[in-house]
Amino acid sequence: MPGSRFWIVLKEELGRLAEILIAVLVGFVIAGILMWLGGYDPIAAYIAMFEFSFSDPYYLATTLSFAAPIMLTAITFAVGVRAGLFNIGAEGQLYMGALGAVIVASWALPGPLYLPLAIIVGSLMGAVWGLAAGLLKVYREVNEVVSTIMLNWIAFWVVEYARVYIYPNPIDASKTISMPPAGRLPILIKGTELSASLIVSLVFVGIAFYLLWYMVLGYEIRATGLNPSAARYGGINPKKAMLWAFIIGGIASGLAGVCEIAGRPPSYAITTGLSNLMGLGFDGITVSLLGANHPFGIIPAAIFIGALYSGARGMQIVTGVPLEMVKAVQGIIIIALAVPGIIRLIRSKIRRGGVKVV
Amino acid sequence: MNDIIVQMKNIVKVYPDGTVALRGVDLEVRRGEIHGLLGENGAGKTTLMKILSGLLRPTSGEIYIAGKRVHFKSASEALKHGIGMVHQHLALVPAFTAYENIILGLPSREASRKKIEKLMEETGLKVPLDALVEDLPFGVRQRIEIIKMLYRNVDILILDEPTTNLTPIETRELFHTLKELKKRGKTIIFITHKLREVLEVTDRITVLRRGRVVGRTETAKATPEMLAKMMVGREVVMKIEKKPAKPGEPVLIVKDLWVKNDLGEWAVKGLSFAVYSGEIFGIAGVEGNGQTELVEAITGLRRVEKGQVILMGKDVTNKSPGELYRLGLSHIPEDRHKLGLVLDMTVSENSILGIHRLKKFLGSLLNLKWGVIDRHARDIIERFEIVAPGTKAPARSLSGGNQQKLVVGRELSKSPRVIVAAQPTRGLDVAATEYIRKLLIKMRDEGKAVLLVSADLDEILQLSDRMAVMYEGEFMGIAKPEELTEERIGLMMGGYKMEQISSKTSPQPVESR
Amino acid sequence: MGKVIRGLSSSAYIGIIIIVAIVVGIAAYYAGSMSAPKTVSTTTITQTTTITQTKTITKTVAATPTTTTTTTQTTTPTKTTSPSPTPTVTVPPNAPKKLAVVYDIGGRGDLSFNDMAYLGASKASKDFGLELVEVQSKTEADYLPNLRSLARSGHYTLIVAVGFLMTDAVKQVADEYPNQLFAIIDGYIPDKPNVLSVLFKEHEGSALVGALAGMVAHHYNCSAVGVVLGMEIPVLYKFEAGYYWGIRYGEQVYKQHTGENIKPLNILWTYTGAFNDPAKGKTATEAQLAQGACIVYNVAGATGLGIFEAVEEAAKAKGRDMGPPFAIGVDSDQDWIKPGFILASMEKRVDVGVYKAVERALLYYAGKIKKFGGVMELGLKEGGVAISKIQDLETFLTIAEQAGKKINKTQIIEKIKKMRSEIPQWIWQEVDKLADTLKTNPDVEVMGLKFSQIEKMIPLDANEIKQIRQQLGVPTG
Repeated sequence: MPGSRFWIVLKEELGRLAEILIAVLVGFVIAGILMWLGGYDPIAAYIAMFEFSFSDPYYLATTLSFAAPIMLTAITFAVGVRAGLFNIGAEGQLYMGALGAVIVASWALPGPLYLPLAIIVGSLMGAVWGLAAGLLKVYREVNEVVSTIMLNWIAFWVVEYARVYIYPNPIDASKTISMPPAGRLPILIKGTELSASLIVSLVFVGIAFYLLWYMVLGYEIRATGLNPSAARYGGINPKKAMLWAFIIGGIASGLAGVCEIAGRPPSYAITTGLSNLMGLGFDGITVSLLGANHPFGIIPAAIFIGALYSGARGMQIVTGVPLEMVKAVQGIIIIALAVPGIIRLIRSKIRRGGVKVV
Repeated sequence: MNDIIVQMKNIVKVYPDGTVALRGVDLEVRRGEIHGLLGENGAGKTTLMKILSGLLRPTSGEIYIAGKRVHFKSASEALKHGIGMVHQHLALVPAFTAYENIILGLPSREASRKKIEKLMEETGLKVPLDALVEDLPFGVRQRIEIIKMLYRNVDILILDEPTTNLTPIETRELFHTLKELKKRGKTIIFITHKLREVLEVTDRITVLRRGRVVGRTETAKATPEMLAKMMVGREVVMKIEKKPAKPGEPVLIVKDLWVKNDLGEWAVKGLSFAVYSGEIFGIAGVEGNGQTELVEAITGLRRVEKGQVILMGKDVTNKSPGELYRLGLSHIPEDRHKLGLVLDMTVSENSILGIHRLKKFLGSLLNLKWGVIDRHARDIIERFEIVAPGTKAPARSLSGGNQQKLVVGRELSKSPRVIVAAQPTRGLDVAATEYIRKLLIKMRDEGKAVLLVSADLDEILQLSDRMAVMYEGEFMGIAKPEELTEERIGLMMGGYKMEQISSKTSPQPVESR
Repeated sequence: MGKVIRGLSSSAYIGIIIIVAIVVGIAAYYAGSMSAPKTVSTTTITQTTTITQTKTITKTVAATPTTTTTTTQTTTPTKTTSPSPTPTVTVPPNAPKKLAVVYDIGGRGDLSFNDMAYLGASKASKDFGLELVEVQSKTEADYLPNLRSLARSGHYTLIVAVGFLMTDAVKQVADEYPNQLFAIIDGYIPDKPNVLSVLFKEHEGSALVGALAGMVAHHYNCSAVGVVLGMEIPVLYKFEAGYYWGIRYGEQVYKQHTGENIKPLNILWTYTGAFNDPAKGKTATEAQLAQGACIVYNVAGATGLGIFEAVEEAAKAKGRDMGPPFAIGVDSDQDWIKPGFILASMEKRVDVGVYKAVERALLYYAGKIKKFGGVMELGLKEGGVAISKIQDLETFLTIAEQAGKKINKTQIIEKIKKMRSEIPQWIWQEVDKLADTLKTNPDVEVMGLKFSQIEKMIPLDANEIKQIRQQLGVPTG
C-alpha cells in the first residue's frame, strides 16, 4: 500500500521530465515554423545556434558568461517560490545591486577594497529592495507580484537618475563611472567575456542550496512555502520566513548586479537605459521555472538559456536571420519552457486555498 | 398517497474511497410540511440531501417526486423538479450585490427586479438588493440564498444546518420565515443536530444514524429524551482495557475563555476547565460547536479575546506555538493535511516539525544535522510501527493511518507534559484507531495530561476519565462517562444543560447567548 | 545527505534534458549536414579550419556567390547623390571576401542612422564584390561577443561597428585581433593602427539648418526656435553648438537682407533622455511650441518621430496642411516622413562614411596606403554632412520602401517642392552660400564667436557647451 503511493509520486516526477522535454520540442518546432515562414532555413539556423553556443571554448565561455548573472536572479525567484512567494523583483534588485557597485566605484579607495565593498554594498542594496516588497507583503498584505513590479520600475528610474546626474562618466555620459581595474573580477579565459562572476554565481548557488536544504532557516522557508498553516503549527513564524526569503533573494540579485559591473567587459559600468542590465531579472524567472526552482536545476537551466542567447549570434551571422526573428525564436522557446512551470505554480496556489466562497 | 411529495427508497451511497455513507435509507416527506432530518456527524444527513438535490448520485435506490421516478444527473435537473438546497457554506459571490447573486446564471429575460421585490414582499424575506454580499451579515446572506431558490420556483427547499452561524434572533427570524413558507405550500427539509430546533419548527422527524434510519416520528409525539437516544444510541464497540486514572496536579487550566471564529463571531463563550496530569479529559459534541476554535486557542494558533490559558502554572495566553512546545505542550491537530504535516516534505523533515530548533538537531552553522534527524525519524518509525518507504520519502507517500502515526509519534517524541489531541483517529482504519487510542491511554498512565477533543462519541466514552459536551461554544456539562446515559449525552449534544436533565422534570431548552 | 535526494532528482532531470538536447542537437547537426545543400557544410568547415586554409576556401565560396546561404542583399540600383566615386578599387587577392556590419542596440529599421549604414555597406559590397553579413545586438553585453565572433573567423575585410556605444568593445577586440581591420562610426578611437574612426562634422550641418531655421522663423514672425535632443551625451553638444551658431548667423543675414529691426529669437532646448521614445519627443515639442517656437530641430533619433507628430498636429489644428510650425530632420533625409512639415534635414551621411571606410580598407590591403587606422572626419567638404535637397529624396524613399513602408513617391516629392517654394528663394540661397563659406573660410564670426572657434573646442564637454550657449544668448540650463 504505502509502496504504491510512493510510485505514484515518482510517476508524477517523471511526468514533469516528459513535460519539459515536450516543451523544448514544441518550442523549437514552433520557432522553426516561424523561421521557415520567414524564408529562413530553420535547421541551418539551429545548427548555427548550437555551433555558436557550445562548439568551441570561446563560444562556451560566452554561453557561460551569459549564464552567470541569470543563475543568481533565478535564485531570487526560486527562494521566493520555496517560501510560497511569486517574487518577480529580481530585475529591480539587480539594478540596485549594480548601483551599489557603481557607488563603491566612485569612492577613492585602496585597490583591494573595491571588490569586497562592492559586493557588500551591492548585495545590501539588493536586499533592502527585496525587503521593501517583503515588508509590504507581511505587514500590509500587498501582493508581492504587484509590489515587486512597481519596485522594479522605481529602481529603474532611481538608477537611471543616478546614472545621469550623480555618477555619470566624465568622459562618456552614456554610462556611469566604471569599476576601477583593481575592483574588477578577473577574466577567466583571456580573450573571452567570461569573468570570475561565474565563480561568484556558482558559489552563491551552492550557498543557496546549503541554506535551503541544510540550514534551519531554509527548512523554515520551505515549510512555509509548502504549507504555511503547518509551518505556523510547527512554531515557525511564516512572516519571518517570508521576509528572509525576500532578503536572500535580494542579496542574490544584488550580487548579480555587482557582477555585471565588476565582471562584464568592456564597460564595467551601467550603460544608457540600463541596457546592460535590462531583462536579466526576468530571465531569472524562466531559468528558475525551467530548473524546477532548485539550485542544482538552475545551473544547467541558466547554461541552456545562456546558450540560447549566445547561439542567437550564429543564427544572425551564418544564416542571416534578423535579430527580430531571433528574438521571436528565443521568446517562443522560453515561453514554451516556462509554461508548464507557471501552470503548476498557479495550480498549486489555487489548490492551497486561493479561491474562496462565502 | 398523493400528499407524499418526496419518496426515497432504499438509498445506498458508497463513496469512491470505499466509505459507506448510506446503507439503505427510506425517506418520505409530505407536501407542505417541515420535515426534520436529525442525526450526529457522519449520520448521512447531508449525503442523503445532496442525492435528493442532484449533487450526488446514489449507488443504488430509487427517488420519486410526486409519485414519479426521477434520475437527477445534476443540481439543475433537480431544480427543474422544484428541489433546491441551501448549503451550510453559502455559494454566493462576495463581490456581487444581492440582486446580482439572485439572478446569477439566469437568462436575462428571466431577471426581473420587480418580481424579486414582490417575492420579498410576499414572503417577508427582506434583503437589501443593492448591497454587496461581502458587506452583509451571515443571516442576510442566508436569506439571499433562500430568495434565490424561491425565485427559481423551488417547491422543496432543503436547508443544511441553517442555524449554525446564526445569532438567536436570526434563528428566530428564520423559523418564522420557514413557517411562513409552509403556509404558502412549500415543503421544507431541515437538516440539524439540534434537538430544540427540530422540536420547535418541524412537523415530522426522521432520525439517521450511521447511514440508517433509526426512527421516524410526528414531532408532536416526540420528546427530547427519545430523540436523543435515537440519535446517539450505539452499537457494541470495541472495549479498551484501562486502569483507573490517578490524576495529579492540574497542568492545563482554562479560565473564562472567549474565542472568535473566522467569521468574527463568538465560537467559544467563556469556557473554564482544568486538565490534570494522569487523566484524559474528553470534549464531545457535534462538530462546529467551537471545538476547533477552542483547541486552536489553547495551542497558540488562534487569538484569545478574553480569558486565560495556564500551562504548567504559567500564563501562556496568546503565546506562540513555539513557546508552548518549549513548555511541554504537544498538539495532535485535527487536520493532519492542513496542520500536522507538510506533505511534500520527507518523513525526516516532518519528524522535526516544531522541534527543529532543538539543540540536538542543530549544528554550529545553524545547520540541521540530518544524520541525527534521520535517526530520530527512524526511531519514530520503529517505535510507532509506521509503514514508510524510508525516511527520505515524502510524507505524502504514506497512507493516512501512517501519516497520523507519524504526527502522533512526533508529538509524543517531544516528551510532553500536556497532550492536546483533536480528532486523533478520524479517517483511520480499525487497527490504527485502536493503536492510537491505546497510546493515549499509555500516555495518561505515564502521568501526562491529555485533552481529547473528538466528534466520535465512542472515542470520548472509551478514553475519557472525565468528559464535557460542547454545544454552541459552551459546556452543557462535565461528568465522568460512566455517570452519563446515552440519552443524557444525546440531550446535551442537542443543546440541553446537564442540570436541567438531572432534575427529572421535562427539559427546557437553554437560551444561547 | 538526507535532503539531496529530492533535490537531486529534479536537477537530474534538467541534466538529462540538457544531455538529450545536446544529443538531439548533434544528431540534427549531422542529419542537417548530410541533407542540406553543400555550401552549408562549406561554411561550417571554414570555421574550424586554420586561417590560412580559410582564405583559400573562402575564395571558392566567393567564386560561387549565388549559392551561399548567407544574406543576399537586394539593393535596388539607385542614383545616389553621394559623392562616392565609381569603384576604382578592387578587392586585392590577399583580402578576405566578406564585409560585416555590427549595429548597436538601436538596430535596423530606424529609417535613419543604422539604415544608412546598411545603405553604404550594401553599396560597397556590391561595388567591390564583398559578401555582406549583418549582426544586430540585443543588449550591451552582445557587443564584445558579436565583434569577437566575427574577428576570430578571419573572414572579414572590415568589421564596421555602427554607433559610438560600441567604442569600448571595439578598442578591446581591436587589440586582441591586430590583423583584423575595424571601423567605428561616431566613435573616437584615434590611436590604433587597425581601427578607423569615422566622425562627422555635425556642427557644420547643424549650422546650415540653424541658419535656415533663424531666417524662416523671422520670415513667419515667430518668437522662438527650438531643438529637442535625446540623451545628454557629448556628441550632441556638437549639434547644439552648430545649430545655435547657425541661428544667430541666419538672423544676422535676415536683418541685412530685409533691413528690418528684428528681435532676437528665443532659443529653446530640451534633452528628453531617450533616443527611442516618441512619446517623450512629442511632449517636449508641444512644450516648445507652446512657448512660441515654430521650428524644432530633431536631434533625438526615433524620439524625433514624436517631434514630427507634434508639429503636424499643431499645424493641422490651425487648419494648415503644411508648416509652420516646422520640424527639422536629422541623420537621414527625413523630409518625406511628414511631407510639408519638415523644413529640411541635417543629413549625416553614414552611408558615405561606411563606403569610404570599406574603400580605405581595400586600399590598405592593396598596399596603396601604409596606414589604415586613425580618424576620418567627414564634413561638408567630404560630403559627410549636408542639408537635404529635393534630389536626395529618391534615395531615401527607396530605403523606406525597402523597410516595408507604403509610400507614394511622386505625391511626396510634389508636396515637399510646394513647401520649399513657399519660402523665399533667397533664404535657400543664403543657406547654400553659408555651406560654401564654411567649406573654405570657417572664420565667420557671429556674436563674437567664430565658427572655427567652436570647431577647435571639439570634442565639447558640459562646461564648454554651457559657455557657447551663454555667448550665443541661449539659456544655459
